[in-house]
Amino acid sequence: MGFPYPEADWELVEGAMYMGAGGALPGIYTFISILICIYLLWACNRVEWNKYDEAGE
Amino acid sequence: MEAQIAELTARIAELESKASVTNTMFAETYYYLSIPLMIIIHAGFLAYEMGATRMKNVLSSGMKNILAFAFMVPTFYWFGWWVYWGFPTGITFSAGPAGISGAEYANAIALGWGESAQYMGPNIADQASGVFWGAFTLFACTTASIMSGAVIERIQTVGFTICAIVLGSFAWVVAAAWGWHADGWLVTKFGVHDFGAAGLVHAVAGFFALGVLVNLGPRIGKFNSDGTANNLRGHNLPFTVTGLMLIMVGFWGFLMACVIVPGEAWSWYPDKATTIYGTPMTLSALSFNILMGMGGGIIGSYAYTRDPFWMMSGCLAGLISVASGLDLYWPSLTFIIALGAGILLKPAADVLERWGIDDAVGAVTVHGTIGIYALVVLGIFASGFPALQGAEGEVAQISLIGQIVGAIVFFLLGFVPGYIVSWILNAVGMLRVPDAVQEAGLDPVKVTAQAYPEGIPNSPPAGT
Repeated sequence: MGFPYPEADWELVEGAMYMGAGGALPGIYTFISILICIYLLWACNRVEWNKYDEAGE
Repeated sequence: MEAQIAELTARIAELESKASVTNTMFAETYYYLSIPLMIIIHAGFLAYEMGATRMKNVLSSGMKNILAFAFMVPTFYWFGWWVYWGFPTGITFSAGPAGISGAEYANAIALGWGESAQYMGPNIADQASGVFWGAFTLFACTTASIMSGAVIERIQTVGFTICAIVLGSFAWVVAAAWGWHADGWLVTKFGVHDFGAAGLVHAVAGFFALGVLVNLGPRIGKFNSDGTANNLRGHNLPFTVTGLMLIMVGFWGFLMACVIVPGEAWSWYPDKATTIYGTPMTLSALSFNILMGMGGGIIGSYAYTRDPFWMMSGCLAGLISVASGLDLYWPSLTFIIALGAGILLKPAADVLERWGIDDAVGAVTVHGTIGIYALVVLGIFASGFPALQGAEGEVAQISLIGQIVGAIVFFLLGFVPGYIVSWILNAVGMLRVPDAVQEAGLDPVKVTAQAYPEGIPNSPPAGT
């Protein structure tokens, strides 16, 4: 992804130092992580309900 | 007017002196407090592996873990600390570009005799050496604890202790000198970045354990004649899970000790905290990324296993998976990487089991495999970041190739010494507990105390 400043020199960095600072990537990662969490909650809930159904039969 | 200037100058000098004392006390206290926090890691590993042990072996498992801690302290004092300062440039023992390494430098500050003894004992003019040495000693204890769980229920106590000394006071220290020191050749030549020691502590310890496991062999009853594995359940899963949570608490101390505070003669900057490489770092960065790593790891393991043991192992794996770049990751990316580690964990452990390796607590996977994953993933996402302080073109940058080189070196620094020392111990009969003793249980044979003299009765609740 590369260093988020024009020169690869820490002396020039006064603020944000994370990957993708100043660009769109941090927002994209946040959006992806939210989607993953929602999907996993949905999928895990399905599995849990299947277990309840199996126990009830 | 002159008198006023003189008075003002004197007051400024007084204030500077007070500020200096305050900063020095802060720096000393900062590392001092990281030490008991890291002892919580050891307490956690103790609970973790005792819980994962069958009842007949509980105390002997705990005893060897306690002994690992005890032997790590003096051996790291006698030679481990010297290795860290002497080895950074490789086996030439020469001084590196930062001038804080090599045999001459190590002889001057890290030996318990001669001129350097002044830095290795109580000294009113030195408020740094003892706390740094203490923090590094606890890093060493962590490596020994990582191995300890993998080999439970069939390793001899003294044989294990010798393995622990080789790992904790030599193997990982060489890795730290090479990849966790501003003069380390992996850093200066390849730009290896491993802020939170995912490779040089976790991977080295995990693969050292693998080297030992190859020679040690599985517990009796672990594998059937057709090669399929049995699950030798520990006697107390809640104890194991609580131990894992204690480990997570202790890692806040471990990771805070990876930060170099500002304002001292040995600091990189007068006003900015840094990593051990001299690159910028803040405790806020740690807080963001440690917590996101833990959360991601637990969720990944939950999604894949729904097993509390693997969920808490996933918590640890999540943190390890991002430890190399806790200073550089964006928190949501941390979460995604850690979630991947949590999912990867159980299948990776299953592969090891299919190869006939009996790793009782999954240490090779959690620490070894995930440690390597951490190094490589950082190489993908952080390529181009300066690995050290210095202008572009003058210092190495983080790269995928560099991180892979680091991963290979750390794997070898773990596996090879682990294999060799355990091979020698096995050859002289000091490694594996005899089969008859394993079947009878290690505690009844060699421990003078009893873990549960009244058993674990299923007591009825009080009547209403």
